[in-house]
Amino acid sequence: MRVSANTFSDTLITQLSQLAVRQQKLQAQAATGQRVRLPEDDPIALRRVLDLQNDYSTNSQFTENIARQLELAQASFDSIKALKTISDRASEIATLADSLKSTPELQAYATEITEMIKQAVHVLNGSHRGDYLFGGTQTDQPPYTMTLDANGNVTGVTFQGNLDIPQVEISNGVLASSQVIGENSTGTGPRGLVADSRSGADLLNHLISLQNNLLSGNVALIASTDRPNLARDEDNLLYHISSNGAIQARLETTRKLNEQHNQSVESQVSREVDADLAQTLVKLTQTQTAYEAALQSGARALNLSLLDYLR
Amino acid sequence: MLGLFGTLNLAARSMSTQRAGVEIAGQNLANVNNPAYARQRVAIATSMSIVTAAGIQGTGADAIEITQLRNAILDNQIQAEASNRGALAARQLALQYGQAALGTQIDTTSTAGITGGNSLAEGLSNLFNAFQSLSTNPTSMAERQTLLMKASSLALQFNQLDTRLDNLAASLNTTIGAEVASANQLLTDIARLNDMIRTAEITSGATANDLRDTRQARIEELAKFVNLDITTDASGALNISIGGVDMVSGQQRLDSLEAYDAGGGQILLRAATAGTPLAITGGSIQGTIEARDVGIGNLRASINSLAAALITEVNAVHSVGFGLTGGTGENFFTGTNAADIGVNAALLDDPSLVQAAGVSGAPGDNQVALALARLAQTKHPALNDQSFNQAYSQTVAAFGQELATVNTQLGDQQAIENMLLRQRDALGGVSLDEEMTDLTRFQKAFAASARLVTVVDEMLETVVNLKR
Repeated sequence: MRVSANTFSDTLITQLSQLAVRQQKLQAQAATGQRVRLPEDDPIALRRVLDLQNDYSTNSQFTENIARQLELAQASFDSIKALKTISDRASEIATLADSLKSTPELQAYATEITEMIKQAVHVLNGSHRGDYLFGGTQTDQPPYTMTLDANGNVTGVTFQGNLDIPQVEISNGVLASSQVIGENSTGTGPRGLVADSRSGADLLNHLISLQNNLLSGNVALIASTDRPNLARDEDNLLYHISSNGAIQARLETTRKLNEQHNQSVESQVSREVDADLAQTLVKLTQTQTAYEAALQSGARALNLSLLDYLR
Repeated sequence: MLGLFGTLNLAARSMSTQRAGVEIAGQNLANVNNPAYARQRVAIATSMSIVTAAGIQGTGADAIEITQLRNAILDNQIQAEASNRGALAARQLALQYGQAALGTQIDTTSTAGITGGNSLAEGLSNLFNAFQSLSTNPTSMAERQTLLMKASSLALQFNQLDTRLDNLAASLNTTIGAEVASANQLLTDIARLNDMIRTAEITSGATANDLRDTRQARIEELAKFVNLDITTDASGALNISIGGVDMVSGQQRLDSLEAYDAGGGQILLRAATAGTPLAITGGSIQGTIEARDVGIGNLRASINSLAAALITEVNAVHSVGFGLTGGTGENFFTGTNAADIGVNAALLDDPSLVQAAGVSGAPGDNQVALALARLAQTKHPALNDQSFNQAYSQTVAAFGQELATVNTQLGDQQAIENMLLRQRDALGGVSLDEEMTDLTRFQKAFAASARLVTVVDEMLETVVNLKR
């Protein structure tokens, strides 16, 4: 094929341009470590990566949710422990309050029980981050109110909360809650912490009963009624202690699974997006060599002309 | 026999013929870097022979014609491919602008880790994560303010993206207008060149090679803007029609191109005088229109659908919830599409009005917040049964695929066009070595002819001096 004066130079320009573009692309891949950066680079891979990034972000949020629930669970556990301490002491007093005790001694026990009731109500009205813990979704008011007589003895407690427990998503489609409600007398739904019709627990009223029996010196009733009631209360609290432990274990397990999932997602993103550095650098070297060869050969060929040999 | 004077005349004509060769070689050398130029050759033929006593004798040679080495088939192919490349190049440029406006890119080196980026994808994830966070602590004012901030940021991203795409469409319309003006000027030039060629060829009886080169260059330049149909009439003039409407006939420009608003800011092409909308299939004007209406248009429509679905779905769930003060019925988002989506100003002023609870009077209830968070995973019929993030990913991938396809097509097109240009160059391009060789050849022939003049002159001198 005939080669004109401009054929060679135009072809050289085209080749150098193509090599420069390829060089620039490979250099960008080597510098960023990424094969895919813009939608035009690999649209399908980019779509998968966007979906994976969303998955990662959502999973990270689930991990945050779990952290919040663990916080709540720990706060609840501290309260349950405090109530267990109260329950243990109340059971002890119920055992000690027999016919051998004098009236002043029984009165002293009654006073202690009264303070323990107040302490229990105080614990049950505890809050975390401004929300009351044991009132269900009635988080803006104390779950319990207390009435006292003229002598300062507790005459009654009233639960102001509800039975609704807000669920939180801890993994895709998985809901959980570490919240506990104060009491449930309906026979269905979440188990009440200090009172539940299914287990027969009713700690606060049982403590009031014990207080009243101690004040009246009715040790027989203490033995026949209060002691078994307090045993049921203790069983209920033990149930909640183990339930709290179980929910924390579940949350921890789910958190670990979420973290493992995110690590897997990172690997998948890396597989889609990362450039094979060794391969990229080899191709870059090849391209640079070709570019240099084109420049050198072009420079030599461009300098040749018949004009140099004509006299 | 020619005689001495006949031979002298033969030598003079030979010198003239060789000089023409030198001139044509000079013309070729002068135009070596003119891409529109096709090399010329002087056609030399023997002069008319005469009958002599010794037989039929030649009377020398004459330069009878200056021919141009050009292939009409190649020219037509190159013109057609110029239209194709113009369309693809214009589409590529517009789609690249659209990709930049979209702002979606993967950057795993950012400090945000693999979720690095500031595109709508991030904005959507942040919004639904904020709903999730609110569901864990619905009474927290901090969570509510964070949610409203993320929602505002997302709304702003939608607004800005829509504005960028709108501005891009307006820029493309401006480009169409500018290219139409350039195309009309070229049509005028071609009509004028038709006239000049006709006049020159009638006057001289020869082919006006240089004017034809200039006309071909104008035609190829015009073909980059819009695809042409060219016919040649009996006089050799090129008639041009675009989209079935005659634009140039001989030396007359019958019509011109006009950009007009077909409604809704959609600038299209029509014949200015006839008023006929032109269905063009090539050239940068067609490429720009296609990129604006299909590539950018589909992108904008998808983003608007996404925004509309987001507004509708979120408001549907939010409006039935209850705020901290027991209020209900408030929308979360205002607006109807990407251009005007915003967060309800009442919520921005008082975050306690965010309706996270599912029942009244229970501030710790999070049913609506949870339902809003779970919208992220819901498949929405308005988005072809995809979630919000999936719909966005699909939009970006489709746009990227269109641009990637155009990149590949343009690369192939450029290769084809380069091959054709090399073929034309092989035929009509000027080779310095060839022209220098011809120059030397004609120079030697001229010198030889001049020598003949000298010899005949001496012979005449001898004859004249016979009689003293």
